[in-house]
Amino acid sequence: LCGSRRNNNMASQGLTYDGCNFFRQRLILSTLSGKRVKIRHVRSKDDNPGLRDFEASFIRLLDKVTNGTRIEINQTGTVLFYQPGLLFGGTIEHECNVQRSVGYYLEALIMLAPFMKNPLRALLKGVTNDQKDPSVDLLKATAIPLMKKFGIDGDGLEIKITKRGMAPGGGGEVLFTCPVRRTIRPVQMTEPGKIKRIRGTAYSVRVSPQMANRIVDSARSILNQFIPDIYIYTDHMKGANSGKSPGFGLTLIAETLNGTFLSAEMVSNPQGQGETILPEDLGRKCAKILLEEVYRGGCVDSANQSLALLYMTLGQQDVSKTLLGPLSPYTIEFLRHIRDFFQIMFKIEVKKPNEEEMKGGNKVLMTCVGAGYTNISKTLK
Amino acid sequence: MEAKVQKKHQRKHSGRKAEKKSRKQNEQESDARKRNPRAFAVQSAVRMARTFHRTQDLKTKKHHIPLVDRTPLEPPPIVVVVVGPPKVGKSTLIRCLIKNFTRQKLSDIRGPVTIVSGKKRRITFIESGSDISSMIDLAKVADLALMLIDASFGFEMETFEFLNICQVHGFPRIMGVLTHLDSFKNNKVLSKTKKRLKHRFWTEVYQGAKLFYLSGMVYGEYQTQEVKNLGRFISVMKFRPLVWQTSHPYVLADRMEDLTDPETIRQDPKCDRTVSLYGYLRGTYMKNKSQVHIPGVGDFAVGDLSFLPDPCPLPETLKKRALNEKERLLYAPMAGVGGVVYDKDAVYIDMPGGHVKQQDNAGPTTELVQSLIGTHATLDSKMAASKVSLFSGTAALSQDDVEEDSMQQPTESHVWDPKTHRERRKAVFTGEEEEDDHDDDDDDEEEEEEEEDEEYNEEDENEVEIEKTDPPMKRLKLEQRKEMEETPAFADSDDELEKSEDDEEDEEERGTGNGDSGHCSEDNDDDYGSEEAESGTEDDDNKEISDMEEDVASGTNGQRSKASSGQEEEDEEEEDQSYSTAGSLRWKEGLAEKAAEVFLRQQRAAPNLRKLVYGTVVEEEEEEGEEDEEVGGLFRVSRPEKGKRRRADGLDCSRFEPDDSHDWEQEEMLASIRDCFVTGKWEGNTDAATLLKEDDEIYGDFEDLETGEVHKAPANNDDDDQAEGGSDLDHEDEEEPQVKVDDTEAQKNKRLEKKKRLKERFDAEYDDGDATYFDDLKEEMHKQAELNRAEFEDVDDETRVQYEGFRPGMYVRLEIPSLPCEFVTNFDPHYPIILGGLGGSEGNVGYLQMRLKKHRWHSKILKTRDPLILSLGWRRFQTIPMYHIEDHNGRHRLLKYTPEHMHCGASIWGPITPQGTGFLAVQSVSGTQANFRIAATGVVLDLDKSVTIVKKLKLIGYPCKIFKNTSFVQGMFNSVLEVAKFEGASVRTVSGIKGQIKKALRTPAGAFRATFEDRLLMSDIVFLRSWYPVTVPRLYNPVTSLLLPAGQKDTWTGMRTVGQLKHDLGIRNQPNQDSLYKPVVRQPRKFNKLHIPKELQKALPFKSKPKQTQPKARTPRDLQRPAVIREPHERKVAALLSALSTVYNHKKKASRVKQHTAHKEFLKQKDRAEEEKMRRLKDVKKKMYQLMGQKEKKKQKSSLKGASKD
Repeated sequence: LCGSRRNNNMASQGLTYDGCNFFRQRLILSTLSGKRVKIRHVRSKDDNPGLRDFEASFIRLLDKVTNGTRIEINQTGTVLFYQPGLLFGGTIEHECNVQRSVGYYLEALIMLAPFMKNPLRALLKGVTNDQKDPSVDLLKATAIPLMKKFGIDGDGLEIKITKRGMAPGGGGEVLFTCPVRRTIRPVQMTEPGKIKRIRGTAYSVRVSPQMANRIVDSARSILNQFIPDIYIYTDHMKGANSGKSPGFGLTLIAETLNGTFLSAEMVSNPQGQGETILPEDLGRKCAKILLEEVYRGGCVDSANQSLALLYMTLGQQDVSKTLLGPLSPYTIEFLRHIRDFFQIMFKIEVKKPNEEEMKGGNKVLMTCVGAGYTNISKTLK
Repeated sequence: MEAKVQKKHQRKHSGRKAEKKSRKQNEQESDARKRNPRAFAVQSAVRMARTFHRTQDLKTKKHHIPLVDRTPLEPPPIVVVVVGPPKVGKSTLIRCLIKNFTRQKLSDIRGPVTIVSGKKRRITFIESGSDISSMIDLAKVADLALMLIDASFGFEMETFEFLNICQVHGFPRIMGVLTHLDSFKNNKVLSKTKKRLKHRFWTEVYQGAKLFYLSGMVYGEYQTQEVKNLGRFISVMKFRPLVWQTSHPYVLADRMEDLTDPETIRQDPKCDRTVSLYGYLRGTYMKNKSQVHIPGVGDFAVGDLSFLPDPCPLPETLKKRALNEKERLLYAPMAGVGGVVYDKDAVYIDMPGGHVKQQDNAGPTTELVQSLIGTHATLDSKMAASKVSLFSGTAALSQDDVEEDSMQQPTESHVWDPKTHRERRKAVFTGEEEEDDHDDDDDDEEEEEEEEDEEYNEEDENEVEIEKTDPPMKRLKLEQRKEMEETPAFADSDDELEKSEDDEEDEEERGTGNGDSGHCSEDNDDDYGSEEAESGTEDDDNKEISDMEEDVASGTNGQRSKASSGQEEEDEEEEDQSYSTAGSLRWKEGLAEKAAEVFLRQQRAAPNLRKLVYGTVVEEEEEEGEEDEEVGGLFRVSRPEKGKRRRADGLDCSRFEPDDSHDWEQEEMLASIRDCFVTGKWEGNTDAATLLKEDDEIYGDFEDLETGEVHKAPANNDDDDQAEGGSDLDHEDEEEPQVKVDDTEAQKNKRLEKKKRLKERFDAEYDDGDATYFDDLKEEMHKQAELNRAEFEDVDDETRVQYEGFRPGMYVRLEIPSLPCEFVTNFDPHYPIILGGLGGSEGNVGYLQMRLKKHRWHSKILKTRDPLILSLGWRRFQTIPMYHIEDHNGRHRLLKYTPEHMHCGASIWGPITPQGTGFLAVQSVSGTQANFRIAATGVVLDLDKSVTIVKKLKLIGYPCKIFKNTSFVQGMFNSVLEVAKFEGASVRTVSGIKGQIKKALRTPAGAFRATFEDRLLMSDIVFLRSWYPVTVPRLYNPVTSLLLPAGQKDTWTGMRTVGQLKHDLGIRNQPNQDSLYKPVVRQPRKFNKLHIPKELQKALPFKSKPKQTQPKARTPRDLQRPAVIREPHERKVAALLSALSTVYNHKKKASRVKQHTAHKEFLKQKDRAEEEKMRRLKDVKKKMYQLMGQKEKKKQKSSLKGASKD
């Protein structure tokens, strides 16, 4: 019988990609949508072909939070086949590779955590702040309030920095806990509101505690011309909590009346790489980055654009709207991937500010109808 | 006698009496509460509280969780499934209903029949066969089930089975219909039967479920009035949303076309087919390229999804009361009705062939078709003369238009459809002359064809090769689309809007665009790629997006470069020069146009951004082409890495680097974000100043009581009015000069308005009415629903579909590649084809944990590891369940059989399905069984990729050496290693002595030392209780019943159970020898002697001491006495002595008896005397006591007297 040969035909066909860019996006969306993915030609023309250690570490992390995942990597590491399993969650501990900061891993976990079977409690060890990725402080200050807007709240939602570790040594420790949700609420975030206060954290480890104070002063000097309500905490960690490498940095958060958080951050160069930066310069630069971020504007800051879009996609089959600043390249690629995995396209409208209003640059209004995603792995009681 | 004429009563109209009366009447009319306040007074607070609670309880009980209303504005036709056992009158009922609604007769009901039943409602009727597969499939898509019951017979199993299926898969509305009522001769029996059936039906569905009676047949049809009533019921019925149906898109296919290239079929008749299926989309939004499950076939990915004009549209105007004849449409392509059938790329005009031809009153659509056919010869001229809009929703076409587009006129070709066995006439657009000729031939043979269809099959198969000619407008669209695909996404990004606006311009531009499209596509791609690569690593400008657009535009042609590069600031333009020097030179000339262009570009920004994000489809294909270049099959051509490649391996980072071009030292930059802070300027309606002013208006007038000062609100009329609204102002300004009275009037009005506003504000703050949490939630949902409706309302369908997917209610065409050929060759329209959309990960397979209960009507219990056919979600599949039950400690213990009257767990390997989804199980879907077919029902509890079922395993060993509490045990394990694994495990003997495994022994292999809480015996058996994880067999076998040949579709058999296999093959189990019955042989029991230790014996009392039971040993000879032999004399003496002694003994005996009796007598006498003595004594005593008592009394009396005397 002809039909019998496709008896076990399950139609879940996979997607194929080339190159390792946007590696996390692909694996995350694959895990959420249940579609298998194949990534070929990973640095195949490179002198050192194949997956890097931090990517391998990321795959291992995914393996820890899922159940029944099938991962196949070829000999040279240039081809990766990923068949997602069920998001399981629970308590995990992961040694993040020091090539990338914990933010690299945490961003992915934040995207996955609400859709797990059990509430996630992840202890991530590694570099907490570096220059490549959004730091843990930044995610704590911006991603968590954003998640709350989508109905992911409750007492279980927290990012806690127990130890701070700077690049290149690492040695930091972050605890991320997140409750699970069955569905995500649609949002209408079209009005960012006016900035009412600016908060921030100036941190320093294994350097003089005075560094933090110097950063604070310089940052305030710039921001004070806009708003008086500025408070920048200084966070100097000592001894066991200070990780393995020296360094300092600043994270600035602008909070608006409508609960939008815009952020900027800057970290000193890692030990032994590049020239040393003065804390005053760092503070001033960081303040300017914040102003840039304010100029971009929107209801979601540029680092969390893709997170907001993902939650919109995974919402109920209702219209969600979010006003964003200019889309980052990462977000643009994320939108394409969303279309690949969920067949969802966003309506993208450019909003020009009024002539007389001085509210920064162009904004983009993103509108979509959610995919009607439900967290089917969450046990019903 | 004369009747007294009574005076008529005169009512008083005035005076006291009248007043009294009117007062009384007034009282009566007034509120009862007022009239009798006592009756309404609070009697008991407790009681009042209780009644209040009760009403509140009842109120909240009615609440449902509010859900967002996602029903489309134009809903799909409702699905009415007609079910029942065979020969109950299902087809007749459908025929009657169709006739009732559309005045048309349909002789053969095949597949779904869609009709327009009213101004707002369409109905799809479908008949269900009595095989369990059809019943299961249709229960999942039904909105209403008409259950036909043969009243002369009573309920049949099919009815109950269907009810059970419905219960599991969400309960659609169910209406019972009793038929064959005319077979009852006796009226009383009839009414009794009706009542009995009704009540039984109610217990199954719900109390008061509607049961219809179709009393009899007239000329083979049900009575018109009854059918009419039934139709009315159906067309006003409301439906409850079912969870599964509202969360999954689905299509009940009413048409099927095979699109496979005939050449491939000729080469390999068994090749996989590409099939397009048509139907109304129901449920929820469906996305293109999504997965569907076709029950009875399998899972498939939709190759292409598109929507078509509604073949059965609702009437456009809703003013009339009833539908006119033209609007009573009937659409049933599988049954050969439907008139013109549109496809994406072709138009089919259906001939009423075969049986349909016999009907006289064909519908209006068919008339149109026939008239078209009749005027075949003059069609060209007619077409030329008239503007015909062939397709709904398109502009009217004239002959010129058609020619311009190099379109051909439609002629016909006959297509014998071997699947549906009917003749079709297809509108063919004369592309090839040969085909045309062929068609003419066919026309002549039209009549013969019916008889000789066999012969023509071959020929017709060629004709099935559909010339892909398009309807004029469709084609135009297609062309455009193709073009868009050819040219790179960015190249024509700008003229997207212009196209729709202006046709001529469009034409020109297309011409130029096509000319250099190939070139610029590459350019753009590279530019785009390199841009992105840079953005990932280096610091890049934040205006990257717009830059990209710019590069694209400047690369393509001058005109566009002008348009796009207009409004950029200077610093950015400098960057641009590196990319496009020529273009940038040109734009500097046209500075005048700049401003205008800026505006235009702003307008176009949205589609551009969209193109930027989503318009990159072409990339991948190009890349594929590159890689195939190989030299000699061994070496690959190595190319220098391009931008794209670098991007592919770029740094994966979500950070958006800030723009270097913004210098935040400069004052104007700082000023540009000034308003983002609370310290900046506010909008008019939220500005603090305006708000304050508004407040002043309201609260402004007040008098300081202490000082007596009167504060007035600023009397600036203009300001006030600005806050309130301009219209008021104009109005007032006009009136002011007129009259002074008007002025006061206006002020009064203003005050009133102020007051109203004040009150509103107060209400909003303090008194939120009866708004509860529930109301708020409802309100929120309502708002969301409104937003959902409004968001894409004014967008055209083509784009709307991209954003939200295909919405329910659309008539869609699903193209499915690689369907098995049996689906087409064995197609039978009597079996429903359902395309059930699958959600997120529902296309994957995994382990499912379910709660299952054997159906109480199923005769046998179910065995673990016996294959079972499950209906879960859309699917029907065979799988191997493992039954288990949860122990008190959370362990899932494997069960061999399902419990009889209890739920148990079941784990299967099957498709991932959301939790809470119900399922049912049958043991076989083939044939009809006498008894109830549904074996079990249940619900999905949990999904997991691993299972935790365990099975109890007892390992048995025997002691080989016993010390005090330590024993050596052997026979439990085979090696030292095995023992090592179980070190420390607890063991137990059958007699209940607990112990622990300590260490392995060297010999014999597998023996170990164990300690116990007591000393073992050699006869003890030691066992170790362990739990062994069981794996669930990975069998997922979809029931492919639709692929079976016609007529055998309900004979699907899957994997057989071991029992069935053995039965079929005649294999009998070799029974375990120990289990066989053998004659019972009982050995007589032997008991050992009881041995009591000497010490104990000594201590025992004599009674308990063991007695010398054995005879004494023979006395030795020396101790034996010699026998005495008497002399005769001695003998005599002895005799005498014995005689004497005998006498003496007798005497003694006699005297003893005598003495005994005498003594007895004596004792009696003595007793009597004693008694006598006692009596006498008693008497004496009595007398004495009497005397004493009397004395005492007297004494007392005298003493009393004495005392009183004193």
